[in-house]
Amino acid sequence: MVRDLYMFSRVNEEADVIWFKVAYENTVHSEADITSFFAEKGLDIRFAYLDSSEDPTKGKYVMFTEAEKGRDIGSIAEELEKMDVVLSVKWGYSKNRAIQSVDFPLQLLGKRAVIIRAKTFVDIINIMNEQVPQSEGLLTMIGIRNGAGAARYMQEMVEMNDDNFLGLLGELLMAAGWGKIEYDINIFELTGIVRMKDSFLADEYGESDVPVCVYISAFLAGYISECLKKTVQVRESKCKSMGDEVCEHVISAAPSGVKIEHLLRGELH
Amino acid sequence: MIRQPNAILGNNRLLVTMGKKGEIFGYYYPGRDFAQHVEDSQSCLYDGKGVIWSNSREWVADQKYIENTNVVSTELAHPNGLKMNILDYVHPRLPVLVRKYKIRSEKRFSGKFFYYSNLQVGEMKKKNSAFCDYDSGLVAQYWKNYYIGISSTPIFKEWQIGKAMDTIWWTNAKYDMEDGELQRNNEDIGNLNCAVGWNIDIDASKSADFTVYIGAASRRTTLYRRMREIQTETPESIYNDVQENWIKWLSKKKLLELPDYIGFETFKQELQAAFNRSLLTLSLLSDPIKGSFVASPEFDHEFEMCGGYGYCWNRDSAEIVLSLLRSEYPEYCSRFFKWCKNTQMHDGSWFQRYWLDGNTAPSWGNFSFSTQIDETGSTIFAMDQYYRTLKHPVKEEFLDSVWATVLSAAEYLMRRTADGVHDPCICLWETHSGIFTYTNAAIYAGLLSAANMAMDYNEKGLADRWTERAEFIKKTTIERFWLDEGYFARGITNGHLDTAIDASIMGTFVPFNMLSPEIPEEKAMIQSIIENIEKQLRVPVSDHFGIKRYVDDNYIEGNPWIVTTLWLSKALLEMASVIDHTAGETENREHRKLTHDALKYIQWSLKGTTSAGMLPEQVNKYTGRPAWAIPLCWSCALMLDNILLLDKIQRKINSSKKEIEDTGITYDIFRLS
Repeated sequence: MVRDLYMFSRVNEEADVIWFKVAYENTVHSEADITSFFAEKGLDIRFAYLDSSEDPTKGKYVMFTEAEKGRDIGSIAEELEKMDVVLSVKWGYSKNRAIQSVDFPLQLLGKRAVIIRAKTFVDIINIMNEQVPQSEGLLTMIGIRNGAGAARYMQEMVEMNDDNFLGLLGELLMAAGWGKIEYDINIFELTGIVRMKDSFLADEYGESDVPVCVYISAFLAGYISECLKKTVQVRESKCKSMGDEVCEHVISAAPSGVKIEHLLRGELH
Repeated sequence: MIRQPNAILGNNRLLVTMGKKGEIFGYYYPGRDFAQHVEDSQSCLYDGKGVIWSNSREWVADQKYIENTNVVSTELAHPNGLKMNILDYVHPRLPVLVRKYKIRSEKRFSGKFFYYSNLQVGEMKKKNSAFCDYDSGLVAQYWKNYYIGISSTPIFKEWQIGKAMDTIWWTNAKYDMEDGELQRNNEDIGNLNCAVGWNIDIDASKSADFTVYIGAASRRTTLYRRMREIQTETPESIYNDVQENWIKWLSKKKLLELPDYIGFETFKQELQAAFNRSLLTLSLLSDPIKGSFVASPEFDHEFEMCGGYGYCWNRDSAEIVLSLLRSEYPEYCSRFFKWCKNTQMHDGSWFQRYWLDGNTAPSWGNFSFSTQIDETGSTIFAMDQYYRTLKHPVKEEFLDSVWATVLSAAEYLMRRTADGVHDPCICLWETHSGIFTYTNAAIYAGLLSAANMAMDYNEKGLADRWTERAEFIKKTTIERFWLDEGYFARGITNGHLDTAIDASIMGTFVPFNMLSPEIPEEKAMIQSIIENIEKQLRVPVSDHFGIKRYVDDNYIEGNPWIVTTLWLSKALLEMASVIDHTAGETENREHRKLTHDALKYIQWSLKGTTSAGMLPEQVNKYTGRPAWAIPLCWSCALMLDNILLLDKIQRKINSSKKEIEDTGITYDIFRLS
């Protein structure tokens, strides 16, 4: 997975911020050699990451450095590229010193991804709620599709089973910044609870008289249904926006063999 | 959602618009404008893993009409070897769409065939109700007095009435089809969708055939009766009746005498086909009782990017009925003018646009300063054109019936042109506010037309008064708006002379004849207008160029329009038609050039049709593909006019062939240089 990189630079106004993207041959000493090179040249590494997950024989070392203005960075880069372990070097100035992306476009779950603020997401939901009839149904359909899609991707990437699929979901949601989950689910009876701490929707939404995380409920329903190949319904019973400590999503089996007309007539108990 | 159709079909009671992969975009019953009952309606195949929708990207589609009919054939081929052929037609009498599916596969295929619909009966997403009466083989959905029913041959094996948009998502029929099983529930209410399904198990040598009937009615019992009645006929016999009906209807048309155009190979056949298709299209877009026409089947119901097209504008309809009259379908005139009588406003004018039943439509022309005065002029002009074709005693009867309408309209035009040009209003494109050359020409023609009918009605005083005003308008328009550059200004906008060139200034010649090609000075003016329009409004695409409406047109990217392009070619052909091409080499050359240029524009317009041959409003300026309103009645009317003029020219040539042979002058007027 390629991860995007950005930083807010609030450092020395007299210095330049320079980014490097170094492709290297993956040996046990490659990263150390490159880091030493930067130290020798007096380039202060402020932020960096390494990634050799895509191809074990090669790695990528992305860093942001500071150097006094006027340094001949081109020569340094040329010298860096001549190192035995280095395959190629790209570099540039972070001109505006606020935010800089080196890897573009961003990829997540095998697809093009973008970063949006939670506020933007909540704004979209709020506008849907205000303007679109049956917005809750619409959000449910979107969440179901997204949750099921995430499950399908994860199934391609890792060996998923009844024991690990919720753990993987927890990691995914935390990595995506949505929130941290704890769960207690009986996958045979299709009953249980998923609790989400610091739900980005509830946090950003603010106070509400009703639960606001219907999109997350639907995402969970789509994900769990796809993993278990059984249809579950998920409803949010507690929500941080309502003053609860955490958001709580109740899992249950979708009524099977129950036809809607029975519900309408009150024949279901 | 905005979706432009590739084909339309219907009968007197039903209009259906369809995408290029056989998806139903619009299902209009009982009017052509209201109500549109379908949000989504199409088939899919379940292959044991998932559903393959008939409109998914992988299918390669070939859609066309069965010649001389409103029967649509859609052939879909999937890379996995599946083939889906759909033959769509509407019963000759009943408001029932017949969808005949034939599924083939290059290898054995086992799975299911589903037909899915998201109906919004009565244009209502909410408060719908649906049920499946399996004993009757019917899924029905209704709202108030609108009923839509789906039945099939063979009868479907499974079904589902689902919630289209709800948190109880597992009841959604679209979702539930993905597991290959439908829930067989009986009924539901709200925002609904539904699906019916059959098992399918075919090998390479066999096909699976399903016929889906989608019918409409205003009562439940009527729906049941209709859906039972249609099952008493075979799809094949209905098809034969439909084909025969359309061919019979088309046989009334004016027979054309078109030559083989050298340099335009197969063009004669294309013109014949375009003539027929335009007629067939217009026949579907008219209210058969009221006589009004939609400008185009509605495709922007929410007015997301425009004001919508599914309404009747007098301007458009006046052009349409005259084209149909010339094509020898005069009944459209009589019906439309009766409608005009009933819809005229108290002040003698007509509203911007109407529902087909005569109610005023959603409008941004509710005031005297925001109305479009040209529509009143166009209506009276068309009325007189029709009147002139009538014979005793029908002629007198018609005049008696419309005289009050004509009088009221003419007096309205008089009141609004006291200064020799009209009071400020909105232009024909509904873009600018002010005083316009085109609108003045329409009023000029309207007043002269009223004067002609007044003379016959023994109202000479009125006729003189209206004629005098018409001439005053002509004089004032030329004095104030003719530019040294050799064309009319658009008019006055924002209090200033607006010298931007606008294709609508062609209206001074065609259709309103304020300028005559038979008066040398005016002929020179017409030629200069045409030259300037060609020079300044050409948009190169599709190996030639089309004409856009005006400079700086930013409506839907400022594309070239079929309307303005065929309007120009019509003007060229009108010019050619008054030239005696046998008079000498100069006349012959001029005649040849005018006709040749017109043919190039017509050819360009035909390149802009959909694969099924629908003429759009516009052509995408980058791709040459049909754009925006499809089909547009005004485009169809102008196509008819152009072809009828080619016919007129050819008849003239044929009658003078002998003379030409005697003088040794070539009559090969269409050879490319």
